[in-house]
Amino acid sequence: MSKQTVEFKGNRDGVTIYCLDHAEFSDILSDLAKRLKKRAAFFGEAPVRIDVGQREITEAEKQALCDVIKQNSRLHLTAIQSAAERPPAVAAARRQGETDDLRLDGFKEGRAIVIKRTLRSGQYVRFPGHVIVLGDVNPGAEIVADGDIFVFGTLRGIAHAGVNGDRGASVVALRLAPTQLRIADIISRAPDDSELPEQPEYAYVSDLGIMIAAVTTKLGS
Amino acid sequence: MGEVIVITSGKGGVGKTTTTANLGVGLAMKNKNVVLIDADIGLRNLDVVMGLENRIVYDLVDVVEGNCRTKQALIRDKRHDNLFLLPAAQTRDKNAVSPEQMQKLCEELKQEFDFILVDCPAGIEQGFRNAIAGADQAVIVTTPEVSAVRDADRIIGLLEAAEIKLSRLLINRLRPDMVKRGDMMDIDDIVEILAIELIGVIPDDEKIIISTNRGEPVVTNNNSLAGQAYRNVVQRLLGETVSFLDLHQHHSFFSRLKRLIGFGG
Repeated sequence: MSKQTVEFKGNRDGVTIYCLDHAEFSDILSDLAKRLKKRAAFFGEAPVRIDVGQREITEAEKQALCDVIKQNSRLHLTAIQSAAERPPAVAAARRQGETDDLRLDGFKEGRAIVIKRTLRSGQYVRFPGHVIVLGDVNPGAEIVADGDIFVFGTLRGIAHAGVNGDRGASVVALRLAPTQLRIADIISRAPDDSELPEQPEYAYVSDLGIMIAAVTTKLGS
Repeated sequence: MGEVIVITSGKGGVGKTTTTANLGVGLAMKNKNVVLIDADIGLRNLDVVMGLENRIVYDLVDVVEGNCRTKQALIRDKRHDNLFLLPAAQTRDKNAVSPEQMQKLCEELKQEFDFILVDCPAGIEQGFRNAIAGADQAVIVTTPEVSAVRDADRIIGLLEAAEIKLSRLLINRLRPDMVKRGDMMDIDDIVEILAIELIGVIPDDEKIIISTNRGEPVVTNNNSLAGQAYRNVVQRLLGETVSFLDLHQHHSFFSRLKRLIGFGG
Protein backbone atom coordinates (compact mmCIF):
# COMPACT_ATOMS: atom_id res chain seq x y z
CA MET A 1 0.00 0.00 0.00
CA SER A 2 2.95 2.32 -0.55
CA LYS A 3 1.26 3.81 -3.64
CA GLN A 4 0.87 7.55 -3.32
CA THR A 5 -2.65 8.80 -2.63
CA VAL A 6 -2.07 12.55 -2.16
CA GLU A 7 0.21 15.17 -3.69
CA PHE A 8 1.39 18.39 -2.07
CA LYS A 9 1.89 21.38 -4.33
CA GLY A 10 3.02 24.78 -3.20
CA ASN A 11 1.93 27.96 -4.95
CA ARG A 12 1.75 31.66 -4.16
CA ASP A 13 -1.55 31.20 -2.31
CA GLY A 14 -0.13 28.56 0.01
CA VAL A 15 -0.34 24.80 -0.26
CA THR A 16 -2.75 22.68 -2.24
CA ILE A 17 -3.18 19.01 -1.41
CA TYR A 18 -4.39 16.99 -4.38
CA CYS A 19 -6.22 13.75 -3.59
CA LEU A 20 -5.38 11.44 -6.51
CA ASP A 21 -8.37 10.05 -8.36
CA HIS A 22 -7.38 6.38 -8.13
CA ALA A 23 -7.00 6.38 -4.33
CA GLU A 24 -9.52 5.08 -1.79
CA PHE A 25 -10.81 7.76 0.56
CA SER A 26 -9.75 5.84 3.69
CA ASP A 27 -6.20 5.47 2.33
CA ILE A 28 -6.14 9.20 1.64
CA LEU A 29 -7.01 9.98 5.26
CA SER A 30 -4.31 7.72 6.70
CA ASP A 31 -1.68 8.75 4.16
CA LEU A 32 -2.46 12.42 4.72
CA ALA A 33 -2.18 12.07 8.51
CA LYS A 34 1.16 10.31 8.20
CA ARG A 35 2.68 12.85 5.82
CA LEU A 36 1.35 15.92 7.63
CA LYS A 37 2.78 14.69 10.90
CA LYS A 38 6.18 14.13 9.32
CA ARG A 39 6.30 17.60 7.74
CA ALA A 40 4.29 19.69 10.22
CA ALA A 41 7.26 21.86 11.01
CA PHE A 42 7.98 22.52 7.35
CA PHE A 43 4.47 23.65 6.50
CA GLY A 44 4.00 25.78 9.60
CA GLU A 45 0.77 27.76 9.60
CA ALA A 46 0.41 28.17 5.83
CA PRO A 47 -3.02 28.37 4.25
CA VAL A 48 -4.04 25.06 2.66
CA ARG A 49 -6.58 23.99 0.09
CA ILE A 50 -7.69 20.41 -0.43
CA ASP A 51 -8.47 19.34 -3.97
CA VAL A 52 -10.55 16.15 -4.02
CA GLY A 53 -10.21 15.70 -7.79
CA GLN A 54 -13.03 14.05 -9.72
CA ARG A 55 -14.66 12.32 -6.74
CA GLU A 56 -17.79 13.57 -4.99
CA ILE A 57 -17.49 13.73 -1.24
CA THR A 58 -20.05 13.84 1.56
CA GLU A 59 -20.25 16.32 4.42
CA ALA A 60 -18.95 13.63 6.79
CA GLU A 61 -15.94 13.05 4.56
CA LYS A 62 -15.30 16.79 4.40
CA GLN A 63 -15.36 16.87 8.17
CA ALA A 64 -12.93 13.95 8.31
CA LEU A 65 -10.50 15.85 6.10
CA CYS A 66 -10.77 18.95 8.34
CA ASP A 67 -10.07 16.80 11.39
CA VAL A 68 -7.00 15.18 9.86
CA ILE A 69 -5.54 18.58 9.03
CA LYS A 70 -6.30 19.96 12.46
CA GLN A 71 -4.99 16.96 14.39
CA ASN A 72 -1.73 16.55 12.48
CA SER A 73 -0.59 20.04 11.57
CA ARG A 74 -1.01 23.72 12.23
CA LEU A 75 -2.08 24.37 8.59
CA HIS A 76 -4.93 26.75 8.04
CA LEU A 77 -7.60 25.07 5.86
CA THR A 78 -9.17 27.64 3.54
CA ALA A 79 -11.20 25.52 1.08
CA ILE A 80 -12.10 22.06 -0.12
CA GLN A 81 -12.57 22.01 -3.90
CA SER A 82 -13.29 19.49 -6.65
CA ALA A 83 -11.56 19.37 -10.03
CA ALA A 84 -14.40 21.36 -11.57
CA GLU A 85 -14.00 24.12 -8.99
CA ARG A 86 -10.26 24.59 -9.47
CA PRO A 87 -9.48 28.25 -10.02
CA PRO A 88 -7.81 28.58 -13.44
CA ALA A 89 -4.68 30.05 -11.93
CA VAL A 90 -4.18 26.93 -9.85
CA ALA A 91 -4.40 24.65 -12.87
CA ALA A 92 -2.02 26.86 -14.80
CA ALA A 93 0.43 27.08 -11.95
CA ARG A 94 0.73 23.32 -11.79
CA ARG A 95 3.12 23.22 -14.72
CA GLN A 96 6.34 25.04 -15.11
CA GLY A 97 7.74 26.76 -18.15
CA GLU A 98 4.48 27.61 -19.84
CA THR A 99 3.54 31.04 -21.04
CA ASP A 100 0.11 32.60 -20.51
CA ASP A 101 -0.44 32.58 -24.28
CA LEU A 102 -1.02 28.84 -24.12
CA ARG A 103 -4.55 29.57 -22.99
CA LEU A 104 -5.40 31.61 -26.09
CA ASP A 105 -8.24 30.58 -28.34
CA GLY A 106 -6.98 28.35 -31.16
CA PHE A 107 -4.31 26.75 -29.02
CA LYS A 108 -4.92 23.06 -28.63
CA GLU A 109 -3.03 20.93 -26.20
CA GLY A 110 -2.60 17.20 -25.92
CA ARG A 111 -0.43 14.17 -26.42
CA ALA A 112 1.06 13.63 -29.82
CA ILE A 113 3.01 10.96 -31.60
CA VAL A 114 5.54 11.74 -34.31
CA ILE A 115 5.99 9.01 -36.92
CA LYS A 116 9.14 9.48 -38.96
CA ARG A 117 8.47 6.94 -41.65
CA THR A 118 5.98 6.01 -44.32
CA LEU A 119 2.91 4.07 -43.27
CA ARG A 120 2.26 1.30 -45.74
CA SER A 121 -0.76 -0.75 -46.72
CA GLY A 122 -2.06 -2.78 -43.78
CA GLN A 123 -0.40 -0.63 -41.13
CA TYR A 124 -2.80 0.83 -38.59
CA VAL A 125 -2.08 3.59 -36.09
CA ARG A 126 -4.53 4.30 -33.27
CA PHE A 127 -3.45 7.06 -30.90
CA PRO A 128 -5.27 8.94 -28.14
CA GLY A 129 -3.95 12.33 -29.21
CA HIS A 130 -2.55 14.05 -32.26
CA VAL A 131 -0.66 12.16 -34.96
CA ILE A 132 2.15 13.70 -36.99
CA VAL A 133 3.63 11.72 -39.86
CA LEU A 134 6.86 12.74 -41.56
CA GLY A 135 6.39 10.54 -44.60
CA ASP A 136 3.53 9.25 -46.71
CA VAL A 137 0.40 7.39 -45.67
CA ASN A 138 -0.14 4.89 -48.48
CA PRO A 139 -3.43 3.43 -49.63
CA GLY A 140 -4.54 0.66 -47.29
CA ALA A 141 -2.91 2.32 -44.26
CA GLU A 142 -5.10 3.86 -41.58
CA ILE A 143 -4.64 6.48 -38.88
CA VAL A 144 -7.20 6.94 -36.13
CA ALA A 145 -6.57 9.80 -33.68
CA ASP A 146 -8.45 11.45 -30.85
CA GLY A 147 -6.97 14.74 -32.00
CA ASP A 148 -5.68 16.18 -35.26
CA ILE A 149 -3.70 14.43 -37.98
CA PHE A 150 -0.81 16.10 -39.79
CA VAL A 151 0.90 14.37 -42.68
CA PHE A 152 4.08 15.89 -44.05
CA GLY A 153 3.87 13.83 -47.20
CA THR A 154 1.10 12.40 -49.33
CA LEU A 155 -1.95 11.09 -47.52
CA ARG A 156 -3.53 8.39 -49.69
CA GLY A 157 -4.88 6.07 -47.01
CA ILE A 158 -7.64 6.56 -44.47
CA ALA A 159 -7.47 9.25 -41.79
CA HIS A 160 -9.93 9.56 -38.92
CA ALA A 161 -9.40 12.61 -36.72
CA GLY A 162 -11.34 13.48 -33.55
CA VAL A 163 -12.55 9.91 -33.27
CA ASN A 164 -14.18 10.54 -29.88
CA GLY A 165 -16.50 13.09 -31.41
CA ASP A 166 -14.34 16.21 -31.63
CA ARG A 167 -15.67 17.97 -34.70
CA GLY A 168 -13.06 20.66 -34.22
CA ALA A 169 -10.35 18.22 -35.26
CA SER A 170 -8.75 18.57 -38.66
CA VAL A 171 -6.60 16.62 -41.10
CA VAL A 172 -3.73 18.38 -42.80
CA ALA A 173 -1.43 16.98 -45.50
CA LEU A 174 1.11 18.30 -47.95
CA ARG A 175 -0.87 16.37 -50.52
CA LEU A 176 -4.29 15.42 -49.30
CA ALA A 177 -5.59 12.55 -51.43
CA PRO A 178 -7.11 10.11 -48.94
CA THR A 179 -9.29 7.18 -49.96
CA GLN A 180 -11.54 8.22 -47.11
CA LEU A 181 -11.58 11.04 -44.62
CA ARG A 182 -13.38 10.93 -41.30
CA ILE A 183 -13.66 13.65 -38.72
CA ALA A 184 -15.59 12.82 -35.53
CA ASP A 185 -18.80 11.15 -36.77
CA ILE A 186 -18.64 12.48 -40.31
CA ILE A 187 -17.30 10.45 -43.21
CA SER A 188 -16.44 11.59 -46.69
CA ARG A 189 -14.66 9.92 -49.54
CA ALA A 190 -12.60 11.24 -52.41
CA PRO A 191 -14.44 11.89 -55.64
CA ASP A 192 -13.86 9.01 -58.06
CA ASP A 193 -11.92 11.11 -60.55
CA SER A 194 -9.83 13.08 -58.10
CA GLU A 195 -6.26 14.02 -58.88
CA LEU A 196 -3.40 14.80 -56.55
CA PRO A 197 -3.66 18.36 -55.27
CA GLU A 198 -0.74 20.60 -56.01
CA GLN A 199 -0.63 22.43 -52.70
CA PRO A 200 -1.02 21.49 -49.06
CA GLU A 201 -4.62 21.24 -47.91
CA TYR A 202 -6.54 20.77 -44.72
CA ALA A 203 -9.90 19.21 -44.01
CA TYR A 204 -12.31 20.45 -41.38
CA VAL A 205 -15.95 20.09 -40.44
CA SER A 206 -18.43 22.78 -41.42
CA ASP A 207 -22.23 22.83 -41.48
CA LEU A 208 -22.02 21.35 -44.97
CA GLY A 209 -19.92 18.37 -43.89
CA ILE A 210 -16.20 17.87 -44.35
CA MET A 211 -14.66 20.74 -46.32
CA ILE A 212 -11.22 20.93 -47.88
CA ALA A 213 -9.27 24.17 -48.12
CA ALA A 214 -5.82 25.02 -49.34
CA VAL A 215 -3.22 25.75 -46.71
CA THR A 216 -1.90 29.17 -47.55
CA THR A 217 0.40 31.57 -45.81
CA LYS A 218 -2.64 33.57 -44.73
CA LEU A 219 -4.25 30.62 -42.94
CA GLY A 220 -3.49 31.67 -39.40
CA SER A 221 -4.58 35.29 -39.66
CA MET B 1 29.39 -16.38 -46.48
CA GLY B 2 26.49 -16.29 -48.92
CA GLU B 3 23.62 -13.86 -49.23
CA VAL B 4 20.01 -15.00 -48.93
CA ILE B 5 17.62 -13.07 -51.18
CA VAL B 6 13.89 -13.64 -51.05
CA ILE B 7 11.88 -12.92 -54.21
CA THR B 8 8.43 -11.84 -53.11
CA SER B 9 5.40 -9.80 -54.22
CA GLY B 10 2.24 -10.35 -52.20
CA LYS B 11 0.13 -10.65 -55.31
CA GLY B 12 0.24 -13.82 -57.37
CA GLY B 13 1.07 -14.04 -61.02
CA VAL B 14 3.40 -11.05 -61.24
CA GLY B 15 6.48 -13.09 -62.09
CA LYS B 16 8.21 -14.15 -58.86
CA THR B 17 9.10 -17.60 -60.12
CA THR B 18 10.24 -16.36 -63.54
CA THR B 19 12.35 -13.72 -61.80
CA THR B 20 13.87 -16.26 -59.40
CA ALA B 21 14.80 -18.56 -62.27
CA ASN B 22 16.30 -15.76 -64.39
CA LEU B 23 18.28 -14.17 -61.57
CA GLY B 24 19.53 -17.60 -60.51
CA VAL B 25 20.72 -18.50 -64.00
CA GLY B 26 22.12 -14.98 -64.47
CA LEU B 27 24.16 -15.22 -61.27
CA ALA B 28 25.38 -18.68 -62.27
CA MET B 29 26.49 -17.26 -65.64
CA LYS B 30 28.61 -14.84 -63.59
CA ASN B 31 30.32 -17.88 -62.04
CA LYS B 32 28.60 -17.59 -58.68
CA ASN B 33 27.53 -20.67 -56.73
CA VAL B 34 23.78 -20.40 -56.53
CA VAL B 35 20.95 -22.38 -54.99
CA LEU B 36 17.29 -21.66 -55.66
CA ILE B 37 14.78 -22.64 -52.99
CA ASP B 38 11.16 -23.07 -54.03
CA ALA B 39 9.24 -22.11 -50.88
CA ASP B 40 5.86 -22.44 -52.58
CA ILE B 41 5.06 -25.78 -50.96
CA GLY B 42 2.04 -27.44 -52.53
CA LEU B 43 2.12 -25.24 -55.66
CA ARG B 44 5.63 -25.75 -56.88
CA ASN B 45 6.56 -24.18 -60.23
CA LEU B 46 10.21 -23.30 -60.15
CA ASP B 47 11.27 -26.81 -61.18
CA VAL B 48 9.05 -26.55 -64.26
CA VAL B 49 10.38 -23.13 -65.26
CA MET B 50 13.92 -24.48 -64.85
CA GLY B 51 13.07 -27.64 -66.82
CA LEU B 52 14.10 -29.87 -63.91
CA GLU B 53 10.76 -31.37 -62.92
CA ASN B 54 11.63 -34.95 -63.89
CA ARG B 55 14.73 -35.03 -61.69
CA ILE B 56 13.04 -34.44 -58.33
CA VAL B 57 13.59 -37.19 -55.78
CA TYR B 58 13.73 -35.35 -52.45
CA ASP B 59 12.34 -31.92 -51.65
CA LEU B 60 12.39 -29.08 -49.12
CA VAL B 61 10.10 -30.87 -46.67
CA ASP B 62 12.26 -34.02 -46.81
CA VAL B 63 15.26 -31.88 -45.91
CA VAL B 64 13.71 -30.11 -42.92
CA GLU B 65 12.17 -33.36 -41.66
CA GLY B 66 15.52 -35.10 -41.92
CA ASN B 67 14.43 -37.73 -44.47
CA CYS B 68 17.54 -36.93 -46.51
CA ARG B 69 20.68 -34.86 -46.38
CA THR B 70 20.47 -31.36 -47.84
CA LYS B 71 22.97 -32.29 -50.58
CA GLN B 72 20.77 -35.17 -51.73
CA ALA B 73 17.81 -32.91 -52.38
CA LEU B 74 19.75 -30.34 -54.42
CA ILE B 75 19.19 -30.77 -58.16
CA ARG B 76 22.00 -29.60 -60.42
CA ASP B 77 20.93 -27.43 -63.35
CA LYS B 78 21.15 -28.86 -66.86
CA ARG B 79 23.39 -26.13 -68.25
CA HIS B 80 25.16 -24.60 -65.27
CA ASP B 81 27.20 -26.77 -62.93
CA ASN B 82 27.22 -24.15 -60.20
CA LEU B 83 23.41 -23.75 -60.06
CA PHE B 84 21.17 -25.91 -57.90
CA LEU B 85 17.47 -26.16 -57.14
CA LEU B 86 15.89 -27.21 -53.87
CA PRO B 87 12.34 -28.00 -54.98
CA ALA B 88 9.18 -27.61 -52.91
CA ALA B 89 7.07 -30.58 -51.90
CA GLN B 90 3.96 -30.88 -53.99
CA THR B 91 1.94 -33.16 -51.72
CA ARG B 92 2.22 -31.07 -48.55
CA ASP B 93 1.21 -27.57 -47.53
CA LYS B 94 2.85 -24.41 -46.16
CA ASN B 95 2.55 -25.61 -42.55
CA ALA B 96 4.94 -28.49 -43.21
CA VAL B 97 7.85 -26.06 -42.63
CA SER B 98 8.44 -23.54 -39.84
CA PRO B 99 10.32 -20.22 -40.03
CA GLU B 100 12.94 -21.62 -37.63
CA GLN B 101 13.59 -24.59 -39.92
CA MET B 102 13.93 -22.28 -42.94
CA GLN B 103 16.33 -20.06 -41.05
CA LYS B 104 18.47 -23.06 -40.13
CA LEU B 105 18.45 -24.32 -43.72
CA CYS B 106 19.48 -20.91 -45.09
CA GLU B 107 22.33 -20.68 -42.58
CA GLU B 108 23.54 -24.10 -43.67
CA LEU B 109 23.40 -23.24 -47.40
CA LYS B 110 25.12 -19.88 -46.82
CA GLN B 111 28.27 -21.74 -45.84
CA GLU B 112 28.64 -23.23 -49.32
CA PHE B 113 26.85 -20.96 -51.77
CA ASP B 114 27.32 -17.33 -52.80
CA PHE B 115 23.63 -16.71 -53.37
CA ILE B 116 20.52 -18.41 -52.05
CA LEU B 117 17.40 -17.20 -53.86
CA VAL B 118 14.09 -18.04 -52.19
CA ASP B 119 11.00 -18.08 -54.40
CA CYS B 120 8.24 -16.89 -52.08
CA PRO B 121 4.60 -17.96 -52.46
CA ALA B 122 1.89 -15.35 -53.00
CA GLY B 123 0.08 -14.12 -49.90
CA ILE B 124 1.19 -12.97 -46.47
CA GLU B 125 0.52 -16.08 -44.43
CA GLN B 126 2.66 -18.96 -43.23
CA GLY B 127 4.32 -19.52 -46.62
CA PHE B 128 5.45 -15.90 -46.73
CA ARG B 129 6.72 -16.00 -43.16
CA ASN B 130 8.69 -19.16 -43.94
CA ALA B 131 10.19 -17.70 -47.10
CA ILE B 132 11.46 -14.49 -45.46
CA ALA B 133 12.65 -16.15 -42.23
CA GLY B 134 16.25 -16.64 -43.33
CA ALA B 135 16.48 -13.75 -45.80
CA ASP B 136 19.15 -11.05 -45.68
CA GLN B 137 17.52 -8.99 -48.42
CA ALA B 138 14.48 -8.96 -50.64
CA VAL B 139 13.55 -8.29 -54.23
CA ILE B 140 9.94 -7.19 -54.47
CA VAL B 141 8.36 -7.95 -57.82
CA THR B 142 5.44 -5.87 -59.01
CA THR B 143 3.70 -5.19 -62.29
CA PRO B 144 2.44 -1.73 -63.31
CA GLU B 145 -1.04 -2.40 -61.98
CA VAL B 146 -2.67 -0.66 -59.04
CA SER B 147 -3.51 -3.93 -57.28
CA ALA B 148 0.01 -5.34 -57.61
CA VAL B 149 1.54 -2.08 -56.36
CA ARG B 150 -0.85 -2.06 -53.40
CA ASP B 151 0.18 -5.59 -52.44
CA ALA B 152 3.85 -4.73 -52.90
CA ASP B 153 3.39 -1.85 -50.47
CA ARG B 154 1.89 -4.20 -47.90
CA ILE B 155 4.78 -6.62 -48.37
CA ILE B 156 7.38 -3.86 -47.96
CA GLY B 157 5.74 -2.90 -44.67
CA LEU B 158 5.89 -6.51 -43.48
CA LEU B 159 9.54 -6.83 -44.56
CA GLU B 160 10.37 -3.65 -42.66
CA ALA B 161 8.66 -5.07 -39.58
CA ALA B 162 10.69 -8.27 -40.02
CA GLU B 163 13.85 -6.14 -40.15
CA ILE B 164 15.02 -7.26 -43.57
CA LYS B 165 17.82 -4.77 -44.10
CA LEU B 166 17.53 -4.24 -47.86
CA SER B 167 14.42 -4.36 -50.04
CA ARG B 168 14.63 -3.47 -53.71
CA LEU B 169 11.95 -3.19 -56.33
CA LEU B 170 11.71 -5.00 -59.65
CA ILE B 171 8.99 -3.78 -62.00
CA ASN B 172 7.95 -6.58 -64.30
CA ARG B 173 5.99 -6.65 -67.53
CA LEU B 174 6.16 -2.97 -68.34
CA ARG B 175 4.69 -2.01 -71.70
CA PRO B 176 6.35 1.21 -72.82
CA ASP B 177 3.75 1.81 -75.56
CA MET B 178 0.92 1.70 -73.02
CA VAL B 179 2.80 3.95 -70.59
CA LYS B 180 3.32 6.42 -73.41
CA ARG B 181 -0.41 6.49 -74.13
CA GLY B 182 -1.09 7.05 -70.46
CA ASP B 183 -2.84 3.67 -70.14
CA MET B 184 -0.32 2.16 -67.73
CA MET B 185 1.34 3.39 -64.54
CA ASP B 186 4.83 4.54 -65.31
CA ILE B 187 7.98 3.77 -63.36
CA ASP B 188 7.99 7.11 -61.56
CA ASP B 189 4.41 6.63 -60.32
CA ILE B 190 5.28 3.25 -58.86
CA VAL B 191 8.57 4.31 -57.30
CA GLU B 192 6.91 7.38 -55.79
CA ILE B 193 4.34 5.29 -53.94
CA LEU B 194 6.63 2.47 -52.87
CA ALA B 195 9.63 4.68 -52.12
CA ILE B 196 12.29 1.98 -52.26
CA GLU B 197 15.32 1.51 -54.47
CA LEU B 198 14.63 0.25 -57.99
CA ILE B 199 16.74 -2.74 -59.03
CA GLY B 200 15.28 -3.31 -62.46
CA VAL B 201 12.51 -2.88 -65.00
CA ILE B 202 11.66 -5.86 -67.17
CA PRO B 203 9.71 -5.09 -70.33
CA ASP B 204 6.80 -7.29 -71.33
CA ASP B 205 8.26 -9.77 -73.79
CA GLU B 206 6.70 -12.74 -75.61
CA LYS B 207 10.04 -14.49 -75.39
CA ILE B 208 9.54 -14.90 -71.63
CA ILE B 209 6.47 -17.06 -72.14
CA ILE B 210 8.22 -19.09 -74.81
CA SER B 211 11.29 -19.62 -72.66
CA THR B 212 9.25 -20.41 -69.55
CA ASN B 213 7.37 -23.12 -71.41
CA ARG B 214 10.64 -24.57 -72.68
CA GLY B 215 12.26 -24.51 -69.26
CA GLU B 216 15.05 -22.21 -70.47
CA PRO B 217 15.12 -18.86 -68.64
CA VAL B 218 15.20 -15.87 -70.99
CA VAL B 219 18.27 -14.39 -69.31
CA THR B 220 20.40 -16.64 -71.54
CA ASN B 221 18.82 -15.18 -74.69
CA ASN B 222 20.98 -12.44 -76.15
CA ASN B 223 18.29 -11.32 -78.57
CA SER B 224 15.71 -10.51 -75.92
CA LEU B 225 15.27 -7.11 -74.30
CA ALA B 226 13.83 -8.83 -71.21
CA GLY B 227 16.89 -11.08 -71.11
CA GLN B 228 19.13 -8.00 -71.19
CA ALA B 229 17.05 -6.37 -68.44
CA TYR B 230 17.48 -9.46 -66.25
CA ARG B 231 21.22 -9.50 -66.90
CA ASN B 232 21.34 -5.88 -65.73
CA VAL B 233 19.49 -6.80 -62.53
CA VAL B 234 22.04 -9.54 -61.91
CA GLN B 235 24.87 -7.02 -62.24
CA ARG B 236 23.11 -4.71 -59.77
CA LEU B 237 22.74 -7.63 -57.34
CA LEU B 238 26.50 -8.03 -57.61
CA GLY B 239 26.94 -4.42 -56.62
CA GLU B 240 27.74 -3.01 -60.06
CA THR B 241 26.23 0.23 -61.31
CA VAL B 242 24.36 -0.29 -64.56
CA SER B 243 22.21 2.34 -66.20
CA PHE B 244 18.59 1.45 -66.82
CA LEU B 245 17.56 0.20 -70.24
CA ASP B 246 15.98 2.70 -72.54
CA LEU B 247 12.62 1.03 -73.06
CA HIS B 248 11.11 3.84 -75.10
CA GLN B 249 12.61 3.30 -78.50
CA HIS B 250 11.57 6.64 -79.96
CA HIS B 251 11.61 9.81 -77.95
CA SER B 252 9.75 12.96 -78.58
CA PHE B 253 11.84 16.04 -78.17
CA PHE B 254 9.99 16.89 -74.98
CA SER B 255 10.56 13.59 -73.23
CA ARG B 256 14.23 13.71 -74.15
CA LEU B 257 14.39 17.18 -72.66
CA LYS B 258 12.76 15.94 -69.46
CA ARG B 259 15.26 13.11 -69.31
CA LEU B 260 18.12 15.56 -69.69
CA ILE B 261 17.02 17.69 -66.81
CA GLY B 262 16.49 14.73 -64.61
CA PHE B 263 12.76 14.00 -64.46
CA GLY B 264 12.71 10.96 -66.68
CA GLY B 265 13.28 7.39 -65.63
